[in-house]
Amino acid sequence: MIPQFQVLLNGIISGALYALIACGISIIYLINKFYHFAHGGIITTAAYLLFLFYSMLKYNLIISIVISIVFSTFIGYSLDLIVYREFRKRKTGNITLLIAGFAMLVIFESFIIMLFGADVKVIGFFEFQKVIDIYGLLISPLQMYIIFLSIFLLFSTHYLLQYTKIGKTMRAVSSNYEIAETLGISSERIYSFSMIVGSIIGAVAGLLIGLEQNIEPIFGSNLMIKGFTSVIIGGSDSLSGAILGAFFLGVIENFVVWYLSPVYKDIITFFLLFIFLIFKPEGILGIKKGVKL
Amino acid sequence: MIEYFINLAILINIYIIVSVSLQITIGYTGLFNIGHIGFFAIGAYTTALLALSGHIFFICFLASGIVSMLVGLLLSITMKRISKDTFSLVCMGFCFIVFGFFLNWTNITNGGLGLSGIPKPNIFLLNLTDNTQYFTLTLMISIVSVFLIHRIVKSPVGRVLEAIRDDELATRSLGKDVFKMKAISVLVSAFFAGISGSLYAYYFSYINPYMFTMNRSITFFLIVFIGGLTSIKGTLIATFLILLIPEALRFTVLPETILGPIRQILFALALLLLLIYRPKGLYGKVEV
Repeated sequence: MIPQFQVLLNGIISGALYALIACGISIIYLINKFYHFAHGGIITTAAYLLFLFYSMLKYNLIISIVISIVFSTFIGYSLDLIVYREFRKRKTGNITLLIAGFAMLVIFESFIIMLFGADVKVIGFFEFQKVIDIYGLLISPLQMYIIFLSIFLLFSTHYLLQYTKIGKTMRAVSSNYEIAETLGISSERIYSFSMIVGSIIGAVAGLLIGLEQNIEPIFGSNLMIKGFTSVIIGGSDSLSGAILGAFFLGVIENFVVWYLSPVYKDIITFFLLFIFLIFKPEGILGIKKGVKL
Repeated sequence: MIEYFINLAILINIYIIVSVSLQITIGYTGLFNIGHIGFFAIGAYTTALLALSGHIFFICFLASGIVSMLVGLLLSITMKRISKDTFSLVCMGFCFIVFGFFLNWTNITNGGLGLSGIPKPNIFLLNLTDNTQYFTLTLMISIVSVFLIHRIVKSPVGRVLEAIRDDELATRSLGKDVFKMKAISVLVSAFFAGISGSLYAYYFSYINPYMFTMNRSITFFLIVFIGGLTSIKGTLIATFLILLIPEALRFTVLPETILGPIRQILFALALLLLLIYRPKGLYGKVEV
């Protein structure tokens, strides 16, 4: 088997994880029209909750996963309710929301450092990590789960946005919230709903990454950068753009690591972002609009 | 005891330069540069590497500013076609990359162990081994920096920057080169962040990448917002407040591993409450 196929497979696995994160970010960005910087905090919190319940308190895996998702989604929802809604009420600009998101990210990270320490933690679920050999390609059952689950979640999010009533409402608020409100849609509820959906997807991504790799307090923000990069590479106007960008980023990253060295793994992310922002700022699938301010 | 106050005063001088330089981008131009600490880190590392290979203070000091400025130039090229929101995203990515770069480039930066044994600065055969002398040096540099930044923001360039913050499209329609002006503001602020990073590296004589994570920069943002946007006087006062008040926490029994995160949480909470209830800060003239 040619080793490049294995690299491609690894790229698809990391692309699937990035796609989940990018999908969560993209759905929040599409509806709310600002970058939710605290999303990294939700990802980290989910993984650390799994560590708390599964590795420290020795709960059943399924129960701990459910508890972690529910808790972190609740945290995401309350962020919207307590902080972002307060700012929207005061009609502040986007920059304020960004700073608020950044402050909340710092709170999350510092809280986790305070409770769990700054060192690397291992969730320790090894049964699913035994690598099996399929026609020369090495893949663990967990990685298969990652690919299937992420494809399933991405399709259901797409279905939710395109074919359900609430999805239609969300798109209405996204394109013009004032007209949506005159038609009797409560845009506040839609903002909260998008935050919930985004947090669920983010939490699932955090759990999968926590099971696959080791966790440390900063890993959520690191992944969030990858998610944001995917959104920009693919085009921030649509969900499919973000997902395409994520797979693109994952594959490129793995090939760079294979051909050069792991040192360049993070640098290539920024390099891609840089190239796209200079030459194609609207992204692969983005629509070119007039003057961007 | 006097030694303790001199140490604190040196830190205050360094923080003043960083915060006032951050004021240019956030307050005057309205660009939310989250990755400002990245420039600070680049300055500190440039100084550390040059000083360890035996260069004199002036070369290290100026090189730090210039290297930061060049990186700032690279960052500001991206600004040409993107919105202000996306630019702050780019800055966040930049900050992470700088951190990852210094952490992973082990054969030069020594990775997570950091660089130690940075010699004390020497100026014209005069070795500044004493902290009191070093305090005088930082005081002079910070006064000059604040004066220069004050001149820049009160000049026609500064007024164009403020116009960009208030209405970018209108400024462009008046024939101003908006992109060039934004780039200038990023470059100037990167330069001053770089030189303060240089002073920081000389002062601690040891640096590692964990000193420059994004979390650490919450202090600078809090200083800028407490002081109020576009108010240099406010920034100076806020620097004193933010560096002196948490010193009270030092007298509690908590260990440093808990105290550090607690300080970060308090700072971030203060920033949130400030943004909600008093977005103008102490002396600010504009809201974000």
